[in-house]
Amino acid sequence: MELPSPPDVAGTSLSGSEPYMITADENRALCASLGVTPAADGSAHPIYYYVATQVAMGSTVAGLCEICEFDVEVGPMMAGSSVDFSSAILTDHPYLVEGEIISIVRKKSRKLGVMDLMEYQLRLVDPDNKTIVLSTTNSWVLPRRELA
Amino acid sequence: MSATVGSKLIPIRIDAISTETMKDWAVFLRDPNPIHLDVDVVKAKGLGDAVINQGPINVAYVMNMLLANFPGAHIETMSSRFTDNAYGGEAVETFGTVIEVENTAAGQRVSCEVGLTADARSFVISGTATVFIPKP
Repeated sequence: MELPSPPDVAGTSLSGSEPYMITADENRALCASLGVTPAADGSAHPIYYYVATQVAMGSTVAGLCEICEFDVEVGPMMAGSSVDFSSAILTDHPYLVEGEIISIVRKKSRKLGVMDLMEYQLRLVDPDNKTIVLSTTNSWVLPRRELA
Repeated sequence: MSATVGSKLIPIRIDAISTETMKDWAVFLRDPNPIHLDVDVVKAKGLGDAVINQGPINVAYVMNMLLANFPGAHIETMSSRFTDNAYGGEAVETFGTVIEVENTAAGQRVSCEVGLTADARSFVISGTATVFIPKP
């Protein structure tokens, strides 16, 4: 039986509107939670590639699920995440996030049944000189048990 | 460490994933997903018997291994595939192997296969990463 098409959401903007700044205190707390010492040069822990872009994109996790016509309560699952850094992420420096949904593909999985694989890209931008500090592409599995 | 193809990175071991850390990360990520905070929710969803560690924390363990093995380096790229969950209280360990070394005028670029395994099961993350070590 042919599956119904997934929501037509490719290209939907995820750009944020408010600048986001990682404070030195927040970076210290995050590093402490991981048992490492913050960098002495003012750079934030590199995992902020994920944290900063998620927090400052133009949608919450629940909102992104809603765009994809998926109830966040069902539970999206991370399938993959990649990042290309052009420079370090700095503490106490404002950044903007730009991005969009790249694709959503519906498929059948032996483990999960029917699922959508949604991929989106976010870019952390330095508003001072408009340069891209990093680009990250994340993919989420959205189980569609109701279609099984 | 000496970056030569085939050399193994010194792993980082977490003897028991902290559920308190998950609470902190729910704040960092502004994402109060209950599967990271409430074991009853995890059980009700049939996802296991313990809260599930946030995926970015698992990635951070691997990043910490890279930065510890290559002091002074910065990560240029990293790609992670999430193959399983890691659970609160569980022991996990990072792994890495150097697969390519490029010497440049400014320093050394080192590519590695990296990941995270859970003692009780197998791969939680597998992927690749490239770090750049500038010349002093």
